[in-house]
Amino acid sequence: MFEIIDRVKPGLQKLVAALRETYPYASVLAVADDARSWSTSRGGISISSPRMFGGTGYVVRVFDGEGCAEYSFNEFSEEKIPAIRETLARRLAEQTEALEGFAPLPTPLPADDPAVLKKESPYRVHPRELGDEAIVKKLNALRERALGMDERVLDVQAAVSYRSFRKLFLSEHRDLDQTLMWTTASLIAMASRGQEIKDAYLPCSALGGAEVLDEMDAGVEKVVRDALELLDSRPIVPGEYECVCDPSVTGMIVHEAFGHGVEMDMFVKDRALARECVGEYVASPLVTMHDGSAVDQTATMFFDDEGTLTGDTVIIDRGVLKTGMCDALSAARLGIAPTGNGRRESYERKVYTRMTNTYFQGGEATREEMVASVKNGFLLEAPSSGMEDPKNWGIQCMVTTAREIKDGKLTGKLFSPIVLTGYVPDLLKSVTMMSRTPELSGSGFCGKGYKEWVKVSDGGPYMKARIRLG
Amino acid sequence: MIEKIRAALKTCGISLWRINETVEETAELFFVRRQLDTRRSKDVHKYEVTVFRDVEGVGRGFTSVLLTASMEDGQIEKELADAYYAAQFAANPPYALTDPVQAPRKEKIGALAQDPLARSAGRMVRALFAPDTSEDAFVNSAELFVSRKLVHILSSEGTDVSYTDAGVNGEFVVQCREPEDVEIHNTFEYDELETGALSAKVEEALTFVRDRARAQRILRSGKYDLVLSGNAVGTVLSYYMQRSSAMAVYAKYSTWQRGEDVQGADVRGERLDLSLHATVPYSVEGIPMEDLSLLREGKLEAYHGPNRFSRYLGVKPTGSYRKLSCGNGTVPFETLKKGPCLWAVTFSDFQMDAMSGHFGGEIRLAYLIAEDGSVTPVTGGSVNGSILEAQRDMTFSERRYVTSEYDGPYAVRLPGVSIAGTEAE
Repeated sequence: MFEIIDRVKPGLQKLVAALRETYPYASVLAVADDARSWSTSRGGISISSPRMFGGTGYVVRVFDGEGCAEYSFNEFSEEKIPAIRETLARRLAEQTEALEGFAPLPTPLPADDPAVLKKESPYRVHPRELGDEAIVKKLNALRERALGMDERVLDVQAAVSYRSFRKLFLSEHRDLDQTLMWTTASLIAMASRGQEIKDAYLPCSALGGAEVLDEMDAGVEKVVRDALELLDSRPIVPGEYECVCDPSVTGMIVHEAFGHGVEMDMFVKDRALARECVGEYVASPLVTMHDGSAVDQTATMFFDDEGTLTGDTVIIDRGVLKTGMCDALSAARLGIAPTGNGRRESYERKVYTRMTNTYFQGGEATREEMVASVKNGFLLEAPSSGMEDPKNWGIQCMVTTAREIKDGKLTGKLFSPIVLTGYVPDLLKSVTMMSRTPELSGSGFCGKGYKEWVKVSDGGPYMKARIRLG
Repeated sequence: MIEKIRAALKTCGISLWRINETVEETAELFFVRRQLDTRRSKDVHKYEVTVFRDVEGVGRGFTSVLLTASMEDGQIEKELADAYYAAQFAANPPYALTDPVQAPRKEKIGALAQDPLARSAGRMVRALFAPDTSEDAFVNSAELFVSRKLVHILSSEGTDVSYTDAGVNGEFVVQCREPEDVEIHNTFEYDELETGALSAKVEEALTFVRDRARAQRILRSGKYDLVLSGNAVGTVLSYYMQRSSAMAVYAKYSTWQRGEDVQGADVRGERLDLSLHATVPYSVEGIPMEDLSLLREGKLEAYHGPNRFSRYLGVKPTGSYRKLSCGNGTVPFETLKKGPCLWAVTFSDFQMDAMSGHFGGEIRLAYLIAEDGSVTPVTGGSVNGSILEAQRDMTFSERRYVTSEYDGPYAVRLPGVSIAGTEAE
């Protein structure tokens, strides 16, 4: 698969060489894409190819006298090289004329140290090999089993998606080639009372293939039970409580509340409070935070979309903010080394600093010990949405479920929906317990603001902290 | 390429199909303060082919694939054959395909559609930065995307329609450093070169960010008369759009019937008057799009949605809409926000869950307006409301607000909404 990359590679090398005749820096990223989604619900069965990845295409980056410029296209052959050069030059000239009076942001040329790499991520069962029939059959079986558990279940939506893609990055000194595949699956159980519909969500994800479907069976009963329990949920009395966050809620706090604030393109824009806090305690000494490809999850990659090799970045080390994560352009502007976090939604979109697999390291406690230690508080589960606030580190996260804990015991009472608010360092400094094993989930996509969706994973252990709920 | 695809469809024995051809060109600008961070442009040409397959005794299934002109003939055939194979496992109850339509190309006119993209981008950038004249509050960063598109839809049933479209969208962040260093994130989207509207939006955002910088964290938890304005009004009303969709009704996620008083019987505020606005001449399925009356006096007038679900319900397929219009608005805005109330101006992320009816978000800036008319900017805390409770008492402003996805009152007042404050109740 993805032979097109082999076919066009010699031409793309010539394109880079041709652009270097005009520009002091030139690179090209080629992406070949294979993606499919299957779902089944009361609305019917659906098999589709997600459009958001853009299919196969190319993006060139050059530096001219005005700074960084990019051109995206999806039709390429060696014969088109002169036309691509001409189009790029003409567009830059038109933009320069239209923007007279606006100066470029000073940016040193990005580093282009020699690097050669060709790697593939592992998988056990390719979804295409398992086949459409078997996948639909499996989803239908999961759905029927869940529907049969209780007549109050309005619907169960079962879905699986995968994306397999090959990326080739070429510059004067770099020749990087990677093929990756992630697969996600989910069950959403819905139960209704009058006009109000409550739903519970079971996600599974992996850097890999259809083997992720095997994880779904174990969660069917829980997702149905959760949806039914939510029918009897009530609004919470706003206030600050002792909370035990499950790994998915910990992950949302890691990602939305803190992670976005240490994306260093925000440092360049003076949009991140974290810039003033490097070297300082921003969290409890129990908190150590990582981002990168040291774990196998949906955002694992060997190099990013700017040709920077990836690794493991320790963001917080025992409570102290050590560094942010950074794309190559921002790193050049800040005078630091990039961390392999330059990512694009597709070849059609700009690179930004983006998270990959982001998580808190485990601690020494257990979930049971945490619950037993809470006098009046909640076990928080099922994150539903979150939004970053890097400038002010305000928390904007929503979870579906808060289970009441009184005198160290779960009472069985549920509250929903729940809005988490407050100041991020206050929350992280209040962390008093972490369970041993972090769990990561990569079922969703992350936006920058309200767009630029990229695959990420996040997570951590169970975590006890004081949180303002409303 | 179209002929190549047609030939490949024939070779694969595929008799029911649709081709959506899209040619898109963009000019994209990214700024840090007034300095140019990155310039981008794009030329992409895509063919999305949907293949349908009838399965005896089951019904009709479909899947789609994305093709490009760079693909070799053998690869095009392989992709289509694979999609056709998959379609048999996605069979749903039978339905008729979209009725055929042939028409000359509908050309969008106006500067945005006809001028060079770089020139349009330059004009919008100057409009964006025009109000950025102060030292205390300023535009921190901005992104601008100007695009032009040709859409061509063909089908095996005989549809052959096309249109051109153009749009400008983007975002900007305003910042104020004193007394507290704060920012507010804003988005915009227009289908014309709305330079005046963009400048006005930036001007208003600069005012808001100055107020956020001096806002206090003194909001107490409790029930408030909540005033929402701008994009949040359309977000709340999107509940009615989602609940009336043919898909939601077919799947029984919504029990709404046409003619039903979906706002409830005991309405004490304004009865809703909602329409869906056609923003493109044809849906992706080639359905001619027209404005559609959705709710009149709070009663549901129509379902809306794509071909399959509309056919299942036995209603006319309308295509999928993205713009909601609201005809309500009886009260001057100054009267609408008469104290005591909380006017929530900006959120970090305001959301409506159409399934549960809950809406909410974290407050970035709100004005606490007392009974005597005194105004205190506040920040922090969150809204946690339910449209099922609030819809009886909605009052809308006469002042209007227009975006690419909403056209209606600028503000709505909702009594007794739960607010989690930064101070105890």
